[in-house]
Amino acid sequence: MINGKDLKPQDISKPVKQLTKIDKLMDLPAPYDKPGMEPELTEPKEEWAEKFCASLDGYIGLDTFETPKTKEEKEELVKKFLSGLEKMLSDETNRSIIQPLMLSLDYCAKCHTCSEACHIYAATDGNELYRPIFRSDILRRIVKKYFTKSGKLFGSLVGADIDLTWETVARLGELAYRCNLCRRCAQTCPLGLDNGVLAREIRKIFSQEMGIAPKPLHEKGTMLQLKTGSSTGITKPAFLDIIEFLEEDIEEKTGWNIKIPIDKKGADILLTHNAGEFMAWPENPIAFAILFEKAGINYTLSSDLIGYDNVNYGIWYDDAQAKKVAMQQFEAAKRLGVNKIVIAECGHAHKAAAVSADRMTTSDNKIPVESFLPMLAEIIKSGKLKLDPSKNNFPVTLHDPCNVVRQMGIVQPQREIIKAVCPQFREMTPHGVDNYCCGGGSGFAIMNSMNFGEFRNKVSTRMKFKQILDAFQDTIEDSSIPKYVCAPCSNCKGAIRDILEFYEVTAKFNVHYGGLVELVVNALADLEKPFLEFLHDDEA
Amino acid sequence: MFLLILSYVSLFAFIFLSIYKAVQYGKMPMHGRLDLYPIPKEKGKGHYGGSYYEEVEWWKKPRETSLLEEIIDMLKEMLFIKKLFDNQRPLWWISYSLHLGIYLLFAWTALLFIGAITELAGLAMESGHWWAVLVYYTTFLTGTIGGLLVAFGSGALFLKRYLVPSFKKYTTVQEYFNLVFIFAVAATGLMVWTSDPGFNYGRHIAKSMLTFRPIEADAILSIHIILLGLLLIYIPLTKMSHYVGKYFSFHKVLWDNDPNLPGSEIDKKIKQAAGFKPKNNWSAPHYQPEPPKTQDM
Ligand code: SF4
Ligand code: SF4
Repeated sequence: MINGKDLKPQDISKPVKQLTKIDKLMDLPAPYDKPGMEPELTEPKEEWAEKFCASLDGYIGLDTFETPKTKEEKEELVKKFLSGLEKMLSDETNRSIIQPLMLSLDYCAKCHTCSEACHIYAATDGNELYRPIFRSDILRRIVKKYFTKSGKLFGSLVGADIDLTWETVARLGELAYRCNLCRRCAQTCPLGLDNGVLAREIRKIFSQEMGIAPKPLHEKGTMLQLKTGSSTGITKPAFLDIIEFLEEDIEEKTGWNIKIPIDKKGADILLTHNAGEFMAWPENPIAFAILFEKAGINYTLSSDLIGYDNVNYGIWYDDAQAKKVAMQQFEAAKRLGVNKIVIAECGHAHKAAAVSADRMTTSDNKIPVESFLPMLAEIIKSGKLKLDPSKNNFPVTLHDPCNVVRQMGIVQPQREIIKAVCPQFREMTPHGVDNYCCGGGSGFAIMNSMNFGEFRNKVSTRMKFKQILDAFQDTIEDSSIPKYVCAPCSNCKGAIRDILEFYEVTAKFNVHYGGLVELVVNALADLEKPFLEFLHDDEA
Repeated sequence: MFLLILSYVSLFAFIFLSIYKAVQYGKMPMHGRLDLYPIPKEKGKGHYGGSYYEEVEWWKKPRETSLLEEIIDMLKEMLFIKKLFDNQRPLWWISYSLHLGIYLLFAWTALLFIGAITELAGLAMESGHWWAVLVYYTTFLTGTIGGLLVAFGSGALFLKRYLVPSFKKYTTVQEYFNLVFIFAVAATGLMVWTSDPGFNYGRHIAKSMLTFRPIEADAILSIHIILLGLLLIYIPLTKMSHYVGKYFSFHKVLWDNDPNLPGSEIDKKIKQAAGFKPKNNWSAPHYQPEPPKTQDM
């Protein structure tokens, strides 16, 4: 095993059982600066390591990739990877990314300006394995060796010095899942290069050529969504039942009788949720229903296949899957004849529908896409809602989902909303377009096979945890004061939920999490009982 | 005569190969969107990273962009390497020395030609005329400072890459060679300069190039001209041509957030590309055409 600090790109092909391991983590602020406050890192189980690729850092993200046993299988793996690489580099098979990809492959000055920007690199106290260009440089060296004249002619003199063994391939596949694709590093690059793009390209080779992708993203993700209508497996009848249940729940919680419109032809807006909300956080779609009803918005939900689930995991690992899902979402909107699609609290769904899908098809096949944020900010400004911010008189901080902020440029509306309803709002540092990823981005939030959850909780979400603790330093140790992390994104919310559970932050320090609309509903002046459940005990 | 021809060839090769590279990038198919904020051209919003997506029904509103903001941001990056300054100050000092040195040497080259034309027009540098004095001293300053900065920058970058382990492990032999090459050009230039601090040799070369007369050069000047010529040909062939890449990665990738609206340029391009059928396809099962559905399926 090689010490994390000493690792070099060429080591990726070293025939060792496990390349390296995380031996030091970034310190956390109080009260997590004391020993014993957080669970220790664990070793991978022997049986996992035998079956899957745990030979990178001991973690397993590619839970569908069983390591090859025979010589033929090993050769086949390398062959397939090479054919995938060839397709990655071709403007026939990789049209939609070839220009940005070639720029990032060709021009890196290896200046390390991007390193410090990466929360994963920082969380591991600068372990070389997680430096943004570590994986990019391996890819670059392999491309150089197998696909360029200079590489063939000059070999290691020009960096064409990584041998493609099956282990290199397997480890590189894993390494592509140690990046949240948050693109924070790209913001700092003086040459405008994008290590997130390169990580995603490796994921694409695995999925598109080799048929290998994490189960929660592919088999239980896009495949399930395309088949049943939702990656949660919720079918149309189940969806209709859930909506009925939500209506009952609204009545129970608020005493208000509110109908949630479904498949209303000619509605102005198709509102789409991440279907995970219906199962894990029903209070979020409920809050939307309440606010839209109160503001008199002419909207509908769709019960059409995929119309009721705005997620699109394809944008994390596979172009074809991303396109199939996006097109079906547009079709569902078209069938209803709505004027626009409004995306509710899901960051990657924002980017997938508004940005990634924007050039996937001609404009006549699309319906304009908008975030719920500007609309809600306008509703609040209009005074249609009677609000009493004192109902939210506890410390609140805001997590900025990368997809909404850095990758879409929506920065102010959420701040206007939260400042209107939360008197004790405080920003995280840094925030806005400079935010850090929650650590659940690009699929990590839903990847829980084997020990991957530990990587997320201890490593990729560590910076976010630090930011949360920093934001609440004034009150963190006073458990009588509730504190709220507002994360207007399903995936981020999932990652933050796991942080709070893993480190027992809710139990010990009364820190809660949830979306943005819940805070707005909680501030409604005519609401009798608090909408946020953690406030109920206080009242009693 | 050889030196004269090399000077011409290398200058044209530099320009031609750089343009060729840009054309190669420019010809690549339109890519999917990869906007990354802040995008400076977003009028009134660029400074905090906002975009048109902050507006309700943004597609119904006129798209407001500011070319000025974009140019200002571009200049900050080009002339000052702001991202490096903000994010990695220790490296900025040496990288900026090299780049500033190169910019000064570009100015110096232009001044050499201006000086040559001045002399060809009959006004000698020693004439004492204010114009000659101005050209002479600006040439002297840009050339001297530029040369010293390039030599310092390339030398220091070499040492940093070689001595700091985190840099060393990513640096290829070719990348060391590139720095040594630049250093050698700067060093030979400085050697020539020590015996001719007023850069009369430079004006002589410029005059020769303008009048197609052979360049008269001693051994060290000949070496300098040959190395410089080769460097000019070599740069566009390597990633040192990042002046081309940088234009595309910012303007055509990270800052390209033009939406695909009916009638837009983007829409037209997508319509044009719609007929494109790739001959090859990815191999995973979900990329294969679905078997035709029969009635009893
Ligand atoms: S900042 Fe850009 S050029 Fe520098 S190492 Fe990172 S990707 Fe490469
Ligand atoms: S995209 Fe994000 S997670 Fe990936 S290397 Fe860059 S900063 Fe790190």
